[in-house]
Amino acid sequence: MRNPWAQTGNYRTSYVQDTTIFANYREIVSVVLLLVALCILPMFLERSQVLVLNFILIYIIAVLGLNITTGYAGLISVGQAAFMGVGAYTVALSAPSLPFWLTVPLGGFAAAIIGFIVGIPSLRVKHLYLALATLAFQEIFVWVVGRSPALAQGAAIPVEMRNFLGLEISFRNHNYFWYYVILFVLVLVVIAWRNLLRGKYGRALIAVRDNDRAADAMGMDPGRTKLMAFALGAFYGGVAGGLLAYMQRAVVVEEFTLGRSVALLAMAIVGGLGTVVGSILGPAFIEFLRLYVERLSEWMKSNAFIQSITPAGVDVASALLPLSFGLVIVLFLVFEPRGLYNWWRLVRSYFRTWPFKY
Amino acid sequence: MKRAMVLATVALLGLAMAQGRTVNLLWSGAVTGPTSDVGGPYGAGIEDYCRYANEQKLIPNITLNCSVRDDQYQNPITQRIFEEALDRAKPAMYLGYSTGAMLQLKPLINEVKMPTLPASAHIGLIEPPNNQYMFLPVSSYSEQVVALMEYINRTSKNAKIALVVNPSPFGRAVVDHARRAAQRLGQSIVDVREVGGGNLDNTALLRALDAAGVEFIIHQNVAGPVANILKDAKRLGLDKKIKQMGAVYTGGADLIRLAGDAAEGYLWASSYYTLDENTPGISLQKQLAAKYNRSADILNSTNYTAGMLAAAIAVEAMRRAALRFNGRVDNETVYQALIGMNGPNAFKPGFAVSTKSGIEIDFTRSEQTGAEGLRVLEARGGKFVPVTEPFTSTLFRQVRNP
Repeated sequence: MRNPWAQTGNYRTSYVQDTTIFANYREIVSVVLLLVALCILPMFLERSQVLVLNFILIYIIAVLGLNITTGYAGLISVGQAAFMGVGAYTVALSAPSLPFWLTVPLGGFAAAIIGFIVGIPSLRVKHLYLALATLAFQEIFVWVVGRSPALAQGAAIPVEMRNFLGLEISFRNHNYFWYYVILFVLVLVVIAWRNLLRGKYGRALIAVRDNDRAADAMGMDPGRTKLMAFALGAFYGGVAGGLLAYMQRAVVVEEFTLGRSVALLAMAIVGGLGTVVGSILGPAFIEFLRLYVERLSEWMKSNAFIQSITPAGVDVASALLPLSFGLVIVLFLVFEPRGLYNWWRLVRSYFRTWPFKY
Repeated sequence: MKRAMVLATVALLGLAMAQGRTVNLLWSGAVTGPTSDVGGPYGAGIEDYCRYANEQKLIPNITLNCSVRDDQYQNPITQRIFEEALDRAKPAMYLGYSTGAMLQLKPLINEVKMPTLPASAHIGLIEPPNNQYMFLPVSSYSEQVVALMEYINRTSKNAKIALVVNPSPFGRAVVDHARRAAQRLGQSIVDVREVGGGNLDNTALLRALDAAGVEFIIHQNVAGPVANILKDAKRLGLDKKIKQMGAVYTGGADLIRLAGDAAEGYLWASSYYTLDENTPGISLQKQLAAKYNRSADILNSTNYTAGMLAAAIAVEAMRRAALRFNGRVDNETVYQALIGMNGPNAFKPGFAVSTKSGIEIDFTRSEQTGAEGLRVLEARGGKFVPVTEPFTSTLFRQVRNP
């Protein structure tokens, strides 16, 4: 047998090997090291920096869900923010009487049920028509919340958790506490994601995406597979929404509008559709881009020279942020449709075979 | 010799501390993104007033570090900006912006005891829970709408009214209070419609309201959607039949610029003085706009006045805190100064109208609205002119907590 630590590729010789969660030992070590790094990272960060990480981790969970629906099953969804909203409002309503470790999965299940229902049109329509159906759901969600007194008509519903197993949660440790909770949930959902996709259900998703008639002819049930893809994607969205509700201390409908759904889709595209690594890189890239462009914009505003060369009445600094977002998405679609994941793959391949080219 | 050196060092340090103390003031709002037509001038007003406060040394021995940040109308960015400020340069006061973000931040603001003056005048911000540190610079949207209903009642009994509101918590804030007020005034709210931006054709809306016998439309929105409805009403010949009016963010120079002559006759509830009035605040506004090269659009915007008023209240609270607490200006002392801003200590910067008792801006621990006086203004000849004396809505106080 080859030395498992000296592998330069995947030499799978059996179906069992083909369905392992980790391809080799190096992958396991990398993941463990990454997790250790993520666990100690907040020790070196300010509260507000941890808040940024929390948002990224939550968006990663939502994008993972979107990647099941859109990336793996090929069902375009522009309603992921609404699924997050279903999870968040479920948490907001159940938080006064249930602990968070029950409300968050409950939010996921509520979103999954709604996802199953929203997925029904996918049995009949495809592509842009399906995107329109999910768009309709997104708008219906906002409309329903806006007209529901029980949901404060979209205004804030407080979601506060002051104590966990004797640990007092206040402003000082709020972001840190939720960082570790979100990280733990993220690890669970990533494992579940990998576990799902290595099995027959995952393969069915890919088969249905590539050709649903062929998949049907081979004994798979495309209808059930599509509904399952919607329900699972929505479950991830619901969990992300539930965590967001706790982290932001209140639920407001403005967090779950079409703009957020489009942003999540952009994160999935920039990261690379249908991959775990892409689901992580996409939200991180977009959020850090936002942060640094914001800094650049503020620097431009305060720089006298830049202001002096800018035509009067033109606020280039303020326009920088929306401009950069649009540009990044267009550039990725044109030049790197496989997203950041492809760059990651190239870098990894280079180091795996180094010092050899192949 | 040694003792003299120590004394000199201590004296120098004391002098440096006395001269170089910096106090932070934070504003985050929509300079870009949705509602930036309001946020841009509002932020500019804060920025200019801060520069003026530093130049004039309004707060003794203290330099004001005014941070004006663009949150793009996105709640997570507002939260990040606020928490970043708490980590790096804790503000003595926070000037907030949007309804959604402020409602969401309420628990955190209460926990960190940060006196906050939001641009949003949503009544929910000063309602319990977590409302202790929230203060509205001017009367709430709900009060403005109820005041308009009282104004209608002066000339038209049992009026049929439709509410046209923004499809958001900002817009919906007024609906319940308006219904309760209508009940007391014998008016009927015939319809409540939600209209947001992009309402390029409002024929169906106006025809439906006309068919329902609506005599008055009250808007709770921003100027853009209202301007489109006014233009369509004129096109359909309904401008004389249905009288339209609205709360503070619906009107002003922005509405006239967008709606043109279709705005004629529009009634607007506002606490702010107009640019044509000669008050200390408005004179200062003109002076600062000229000094800092602001465009005519910004100078004419009521939101520029609103931003200046918010900054003026903050600076005044800091000044009073510095005097009262021996130069200690932080969130706690500013809060104390703010709730002490009443009675003979009320603040009168001249940006907003005063109540009958001559008070412009006052706050107490339980009364968290600054300018309680407001007027109804009418668009005439391309500008808004007051058609009432300043008043406070007595009915609103009855319907607020029935």
